[in-house]
Amino acid sequence: MSDMQSLASSITAVTSPFRHYLHELHERYQALNDGAVADYIPELTLAKPEWFGICVVTKAGQVFEIGDCDQLFTIQSISKAFVYGLALEDHGRDYVNSKVSVEPTGEAFNAIVLDEKTNRPYNPMVNAGAIATTDLVKGANSTERLKRMLAMFKRYTGRDHDINVPIFLSEKATGFRNRAMAYLMLNFGMVSDRVDETLDLYFQQCSIMVTAKDLAMLSATLANGGVNPVTGERALDERYVQDVISVMLTCGMYDGSGEWAYRVGMPAKSGVGGGITAVAPNTLGVGTFSPLLDAKGNSARGIKVCEALSHDFGLHLFNVAQPAHDLAECIAGNDADNW
Amino acid sequence: MPKVVSVHSYRGGTGKSNFTANLATTVAAQGHRVAVFDTDVPSPGIHNLFCLEPEQISATLNNYLWDEKPITDAAYDVGANVGLAADQLYLVPSSVRADDIARILKDGYDVKRMNDGFRGLVKALNLDYLFIDTHPGLSKETFLSIAISHVLVLILRPDKQDYQGTAVTVDVARQLKVRNMLLAINKVYSSLNREALQQKVEETYSVPVAGVFPLSEDVVQLASEGVFCTKFPDHPVSQEFRQVAQQIMEV
Repeated sequence: MSDMQSLASSITAVTSPFRHYLHELHERYQALNDGAVADYIPELTLAKPEWFGICVVTKAGQVFEIGDCDQLFTIQSISKAFVYGLALEDHGRDYVNSKVSVEPTGEAFNAIVLDEKTNRPYNPMVNAGAIATTDLVKGANSTERLKRMLAMFKRYTGRDHDINVPIFLSEKATGFRNRAMAYLMLNFGMVSDRVDETLDLYFQQCSIMVTAKDLAMLSATLANGGVNPVTGERALDERYVQDVISVMLTCGMYDGSGEWAYRVGMPAKSGVGGGITAVAPNTLGVGTFSPLLDAKGNSARGIKVCEALSHDFGLHLFNVAQPAHDLAECIAGNDADNW
Repeated sequence: MPKVVSVHSYRGGTGKSNFTANLATTVAAQGHRVAVFDTDVPSPGIHNLFCLEPEQISATLNNYLWDEKPITDAAYDVGANVGLAADQLYLVPSSVRADDIARILKDGYDVKRMNDGFRGLVKALNLDYLFIDTHPGLSKETFLSIAISHVLVLILRPDKQDYQGTAVTVDVARQLKVRNMLLAINKVYSSLNREALQQKVEETYSVPVAGVFPLSEDVVQLASEGVFCTKFPDHPVSQEFRQVAQQIMEV
């Protein structure tokens, strides 16, 4: 893209009816005050209930940002989907599958449960499975492994990421249940014996600071076959994009995943920091941020936004009906034609 | 449907504010509901033509862009100052305070918010026409006003720098898929053949010339203290403004 084209594209994003549509969604759901901010560690309670950002990045690299899209928060469980991708790149599908299954659990995200026959954790989106995939991240020592992980996120989002140290330390200090799971898996030989290093890495990956825009870039990169649509950099081997998206669809929304797949049908991953990243393959990525969580730990406003987008533009993976609006038309239009 | 008209030129001093004020007033005088936005935040001035004094201005476009005031607070009914009825012609001025200009130059502003402001005022005041007076040259704001305009009026003088700059602007406007473009040639000295000039400009840019305006001492003498076409309705310059306004309304 030439500079002229890129400037013109940023302006057409401003005048696009799609931005106007997102603006209306934002207004509508800002008024929704259901749910509660996560409080299992004190740092998370500092999040303001009114924070609300919606960002959409298209496969063509157009960025639509509404509301609090620059507000930093911790990525939490959303990191799990992307670290799974890194583990796949490091070891290949067969080996990773031998360590972590891909079955939805139907249990809460922090359940201490392994497959009785194979001893594998159920899937990479629950804590046990994520600890196992984190164990698979290659690197000579903890620093190198962390650096590789942060470099991976940078390839997806196009910018450097920091770790929120107080949140990392709090997660580490209170993460007894995760520690128990790790040792249970060590007992069964499902993780290597560098357990403490891997747990640190797990708590660190949950404490990475992101914005709603970063979450949209993450999912837009998946939607674009593993290549960041703005920078053009490859973030994930094309062969594994489908693996990551599949587990997001079946397991990404904690124990609300089945209903999510039915109602929204966009592969997604949520985090208790208030983020949701959702993929419309070959089309766009959505990132939402609002820290008010429903009973299952998913952002209440974020769910509404994804539901509306899926419904209005036919973004459900299995949609065959004519949607209310044509997405391409809506994005390419000019809202000056519709005052 | 409301119509957005941007008045722009590549270089300064071509008469943008004068054209905006005259065209907006002419359109309003025909019974349309009109608002003028002064988006020339680095060097605002059109409020002078509408005789809106700085001490009468509390909220400005700047306050809206900084999220301090709703856009409706920054819209002033200036109809009475140009001989029109109330609730017919509004002006959204930019701040002339040095601190405010410095702040906007230093921090910039969200161009999306400007767009929301245009739309918000059109809705709130139920406008038929929105005129945008712009800062000369190309910038993000210029791009926005071109992209959302139904009619872009580009002003140029018979001058090599203006010719070249206008070519660049026309090119940008086409890339932004502008719907309609009109050229107006201003400050044409009396020795030039107006028809030949018009023909040459139209051929060069493939854009219609809506009006050719003489270098006028009468306009200069008014010194921005009022809208020319209301002070001298029968003057040839006012007739030329009416002709351009007519073409804008017919687009």
